[in-house]
Amino acid sequence: MADKFVSKRNLKFLLYEVFGVDELIEYEYFQDHSRETFDMIIDTAIKIGTDLMYPVFQEMDADPPQYMDGIVKTHPAVRTTMSEFGQGGWINANQSYEYGGQQIPTVIQNVLQFIFCAANYSLNAYPGLTRGAANLIVHFGSQEQKDQYLEKMFSGHWQGTMALTEPDAGSSLADIRTSAEDTGLGYYKIKGTKIFISAGDTDAVDNTIHMMLARIKGAPAGVKGISLFIVPKYRSNKNGESEFNDLTCAGIEHKLGYKGSPICQLAMGENGDCHGYLVGEPNKGLSYMFHMMNEKRVAVGIGAAAKATAAYYAALEYAQQRLQGRKVSEKDPLSAQIPIIEHADVKRMLLFQRAVCEGSLSLAIQAAKYLDLASVGEEAEKYDLMSDLLIPIVKTYPSEMGILSTSSAIQCLGGYGFCRDFPVEQYYRDIRIDTLHEGTTGIQAKDLLGRKVTMKGGKAYQLVIEEISITIGQAEVIPDLKEYAAKLTKALDVFKEVTDCLLELKQQGDLEKFEADAAIYLEMAGVLVVAWQWLMQAITAAKALTSGVSESDTNFYHGKLYTFKYYYKYELPKIEGLAAVLKNSDAITIKMNPELFLD
Amino acid sequence: MKVLVCVKQTFDTEAKIELKDGKIADAGINLIINPYDEVAVEGGIQLKEKKVVDEVVVLSAGSDKAMDAIRTALAMGADRGILIKQDTGADEYARAIALAAAIKEENPDIILAGHVAADDGSSQVPTRIAEILGLPHINVITEIEVADGKATCTCEADGGTLVAEVVLPAVISSQVSWNEPRYPSMKGIMQAKKKPVTTADAAAADNKVTIIEFAMPPAKQAGIKVEDDPEVCAAKLADWMKNTVKIEV
Repeated sequence: MADKFVSKRNLKFLLYEVFGVDELIEYEYFQDHSRETFDMIIDTAIKIGTDLMYPVFQEMDADPPQYMDGIVKTHPAVRTTMSEFGQGGWINANQSYEYGGQQIPTVIQNVLQFIFCAANYSLNAYPGLTRGAANLIVHFGSQEQKDQYLEKMFSGHWQGTMALTEPDAGSSLADIRTSAEDTGLGYYKIKGTKIFISAGDTDAVDNTIHMMLARIKGAPAGVKGISLFIVPKYRSNKNGESEFNDLTCAGIEHKLGYKGSPICQLAMGENGDCHGYLVGEPNKGLSYMFHMMNEKRVAVGIGAAAKATAAYYAALEYAQQRLQGRKVSEKDPLSAQIPIIEHADVKRMLLFQRAVCEGSLSLAIQAAKYLDLASVGEEAEKYDLMSDLLIPIVKTYPSEMGILSTSSAIQCLGGYGFCRDFPVEQYYRDIRIDTLHEGTTGIQAKDLLGRKVTMKGGKAYQLVIEEISITIGQAEVIPDLKEYAAKLTKALDVFKEVTDCLLELKQQGDLEKFEADAAIYLEMAGVLVVAWQWLMQAITAAKALTSGVSESDTNFYHGKLYTFKYYYKYELPKIEGLAAVLKNSDAITIKMNPELFLD
Repeated sequence: MKVLVCVKQTFDTEAKIELKDGKIADAGINLIINPYDEVAVEGGIQLKEKKVVDEVVVLSAGSDKAMDAIRTALAMGADRGILIKQDTGADEYARAIALAAAIKEENPDIILAGHVAADDGSSQVPTRIAEILGLPHINVITEIEVADGKATCTCEADGGTLVAEVVLPAVISSQVSWNEPRYPSMKGIMQAKKKPVTTADAAAADNKVTIIEFAMPPAKQAGIKVEDDPEVCAAKLADWMKNTVKIEV
């Protein structure tokens, strides 16, 4: 195991130096906080990650949950972690005081997610999912439901899940079949099957509370007929006693990675006695769920950035220690071998990882700060729109590029990277889920191009373009960054040109062609906005270096600038190639008929 | 009844220490509560939770940075803090003088501390405080019972244990096996900000010891690989053990 999985120095650079997150305490809602509390929260999270979560990271992969006699047995660390997170107030930290939370900003909550996911992604899933499920009850549940469920969930005694997917309804939630029949007795009878339910059952807690989508009998077809229910594994009877709610775990999936958390198949109402409790109004379930989806999608991006970051530090540590080969200029075969980090090719791979990881984290922090400003700031609509536009990118760029980044981490270790003696192969397996859950890359692409770019007359799109232009303007007056400002200007122009081309297809009514390469458009948007993030970091680093900093900080800022320059040399030029693909009118993927795949 | 816990802020035990001009280069190094003192803080908080004491006061001497150690102890559950401003180069003698002066003013019933600091490892300060204040001192405790103005402590003793009783007030220093320090909770972190911390200048005392320079431990030597037939390897290895590293059987 590597010594390091996150960099506190980098977290504080991004939070305070680049994004000035401590400005949030000027708002009344966050006024009880200070940089001091933020620092202590982050320090404690790193300690919890280091002491409690990271030591069982590989063990939970080697010893995954077991399905035995209808119960999922999970690693003992799950119970310890749920208890520690519950007692310490980490599950509801971002809730308001009314719900026992500490009103921490979303941006700090996301940094905590980053730390815990880097330490042990599977283990963090249990409190993380509980937080998301409880959040639905906070926003849409009745007072009685809040009283009944929140305390147990926030204290870590009860697990929470999001139960959406069914065997024939994955990305297409309009097709879910789980039914809900009103009994007129304050509950519905639920019947159906759910699959791919993360942490859907565990012996680490006393109860599991599923936030489940189901269709009330007689409801309209499609998305307009889906309602949200609380469906517990154990319900309370009239005497307040706990009784089985006819909800069974029918099995667990055997996965590529993310093995420490079970993905369960659930069967509801096999004996006709599964009670579900309607949340909010009938037929509004999907809109409730999607209200929370932004939070979940940012969390996926954060998780991917975290895993890639931990892999990067493992690769870095190995590269510093592994002696192999000599400088090309060294002709003496008996001279001492050098650490592989001295080789340009290894440095290139490490720079790639660092560029992806720190660019991704920066983008996630940016979006989270917008979410905070949208909730408390004077320009709520502006920040709401910008976060909305960025979220498909925040979810996708770290997930897609994180796969390449963790792959590059393996490459740094050579053959050892392929072996279980080192953790990088696990990060590579663990990160693969992130382009799939909470909406695949294809879904994110349609969301960005088909909805977000044009919503409110293209206002969100224009606002983000303006923000990028402001950053370019700031860089143009710094001599060392002027040429990079010009490069981003050019990339931005290309992006706008491509967007105009695609929107013209939409106006012409050629919707198939308009969305056919949406994933390529999303990739292009990712390259662009991460270039923007790196320019922001470069501006901060360049300014800091003019103000007399310590030797270690000097190295840190120079490291930032080299990584920034790497990104602009090796990654940003991809914009041109992607643009060429997107502007090419030959619709190969539309014309290729399925039968042509047969051979 | 009041317990006072002395805490020292030290380098993170995971930090990579580097020397510059014969001194430890502290720029960018994470600072933490001395892990042994953290156990003492936890012990003090547990005494309060058991209603043995009414108040847990945490005391540190050092630069303004030591405030972080105090705030962390407050976030764990201590009630208030005292920071004695003192040059970080103070030796154990000067440090003990400064802490003892503050303790005398507080007049606590129990003075807790870790038995050693993770950075310099000198194990002097609690003993010196007891000597200056004329108090009894029990070292390396792993359990404590407090009743009727006395503390009964189980301590480590040369591979075994001993049980010692002392009339309070007393200085009691902890071994790490006493307890498992809690993580600060979210609520604790928020409350810590509002808990009172007073600051005062250190009582005047000149160092009695001057550190001339620091040196890193010698770099780990590369291992020796013996490659040959098994019999020859064994002979070479035996010879190396006998004549090079001089292992006596």
